[in-house]
Amino acid sequence: MITAADVTSSYGRRRVLKGVSFTAARGECVGIVGANGCGKSTLLSILAGTLKPKSGTVAYGGRTAWSGGRTGRIRCDREVIRKMTGYVPQEDPLIPELTVYDNLRLWYPDKRVLRRELSQGFLQLMGIGAFAGTRADRLSGGMKKRVSIGIAMAEAPPILLLDEPSAALDLVCKADIRAYLQTYLERRGTVVITTHEESELALCSKIYVMKDGVLQQADNRLRGEELAKLF
Amino acid sequence: MRRKARYLYIELKKTAGMFPRMLLLAVALMILVGGIAFCGVKAMEREPLAVGADIGVVVREDDRMTRMALDYVENMESAAQICRFRQVSEEEGMNMLADGELAALVLLPEGLVDGIMYGRNPSVDVVFPKNARLEAMLFRELTESGAGLLRVAQAQIYGADDTAARYGLGDELSAVEAGIDGYNLAFALDRLSIYDEETVSATGRLSVAQHYASSGIVLFLLLAGMAAYPVMQPEPAAFRKQLVRAGVGGPWQSLCKWLCGLCYMLLLAAAMLVLLWSVRLCTPEAAERLGELLVSGRRRISAGVCMGMLFLVLTTVTSFHHMIYSVSGSRTGSILFFFPISVAMLYLSGGFVPSALLPQTIRGVGAALPTSCLIRACGGLFTGYGPEAGRLAAQLGMYTAAFGAAAYAAERFRYRRCK
Repeated sequence: MITAADVTSSYGRRRVLKGVSFTAARGECVGIVGANGCGKSTLLSILAGTLKPKSGTVAYGGRTAWSGGRTGRIRCDREVIRKMTGYVPQEDPLIPELTVYDNLRLWYPDKRVLRRELSQGFLQLMGIGAFAGTRADRLSGGMKKRVSIGIAMAEAPPILLLDEPSAALDLVCKADIRAYLQTYLERRGTVVITTHEESELALCSKIYVMKDGVLQQADNRLRGEELAKLF
Repeated sequence: MRRKARYLYIELKKTAGMFPRMLLLAVALMILVGGIAFCGVKAMEREPLAVGADIGVVVREDDRMTRMALDYVENMESAAQICRFRQVSEEEGMNMLADGELAALVLLPEGLVDGIMYGRNPSVDVVFPKNARLEAMLFRELTESGAGLLRVAQAQIYGADDTAARYGLGDELSAVEAGIDGYNLAFALDRLSIYDEETVSATGRLSVAQHYASSGIVLFLLLAGMAAYPVMQPEPAAFRKQLVRAGVGGPWQSLCKWLCGLCYMLLLAAAMLVLLWSVRLCTPEAAERLGELLVSGRRRISAGVCMGMLFLVLTTVTSFHHMIYSVSGSRTGSILFFFPISVAMLYLSGGFVPSALLPQTIRGVGAALPTSCLIRACGGLFTGYGPEAGRLAAQLGMYTAAFGAAAYAAERFRYRRCK
């Protein structure tokens, strides 16, 4: 479902990704762990199409999203990225002055789809319907994160990219988010998640460790200090 | 395309939803600016403006007649309004003239009064500084008109004397001279008749009230940007990233922000007009007085031109707000930028003290600033525009485009950095 090959990226002279490669199959959850600032979010931004890599290839379901680089120009097919992926960034992409409904309305293709989702779809499963009329700046961190995931799911993408979704959330919210991800995986969705949470790593069928700009697959049974020793 | 339209719709909806709050903030701001202006006017009323020219007088012969003549000139109404005479020595006077402390130095010769009485015409030397200021120029004008009047009067007397001597009319000479004196005295007392009347104002074509009303409008519009932060502050990076992913690029986002800002300014202008209309209904007499003060000297203008120019003013101001928000990147930063930049630009453009009274360098800088253009455009709402309307419109359009481009460049730069 996801094929990333030899992806490189840098900020100025600092090389952040030094030829990252990995694959993820349909219905698989891939966890990426690593120290703060090691390049996890950079990789996810590239996968989500919000950051241009220096070189490398990224393909979703056999359709190339990023390709080229090194000597030639890097090419991007935004349509593939938009249709194939949903992206949940670390910060919530909400307009604070508008209601949850208006925020969602921006991203959902039409009103009917949104209403259906709120009444019986994924949004209803996440409990967003209960606070759809509330202004976004009055929501708790957990509610905002749920709305962010709801936004990412607007076009029912087969791949979900989550950048530390449980950061600064309470235990109940973390459990809820885990449950939504579990449901998504059961529906044969693919998840790429960067996280420090062991409970979320439990969902992952593959765990990669990012260190010095290089991604290495780790034993997915490793937890806690054993895992931390790798980065 | 649908996503772009939906983003614009959502932003406009946000603008409409936030407008009451922004209007309240803007009204609070107007009360603050109005309060400062009111205090300023009160302070100016306490110290009436007057041209006070210090004139040095060198009296070489300190006799009673000369002192009387000097007292007479000092107490003449026209001289007292613009001159303060100071008796000095010649050396002291020359030094003060060089230091710019005196506008002119009058050197009275010995036997001045006797000379006048017996027709010897001793000359009075008046020395002006090389770089004459306004006071010196006024005093020169006054002196030259006085000298001209005296020349004419003397010529009349001499002419009457010669005529009387040639035709043997010595007995009637005193009556003729009395007639000439009476005529000249009447003419001299009606001093204004010897001047070409031309109204000169430091505020140019605008009256003082019109100038300060225009400056006040511009200051209010510029500072009203502070209240526009809910619609004009840049979106958070995460939201922008999502928009770019969805095909809503940076230029469209920037354009939508600008359009929302323009809607806010249009609604604000409409609200202010409604407020003024309400004031007019509540206090018709005061409104009439204010109207007379502001629309004096108005040329014939069409309402369409006025509305068009007001729209251009609002677009320029909106672009300025957009640029400030884009450059600063945050609400607090923008608000910190707004006040000093607006006040400094308005000062340099003569919004607080008319440009004509500012130093040459400041005047040059001020003329290049958009606030000069905005003040002229707002002033035209009271007096009309005449042939300069097209040029003014082009200038405003140019500033709008320049600010818009700067705003977009700043956002693009920040977006690259935040990645």
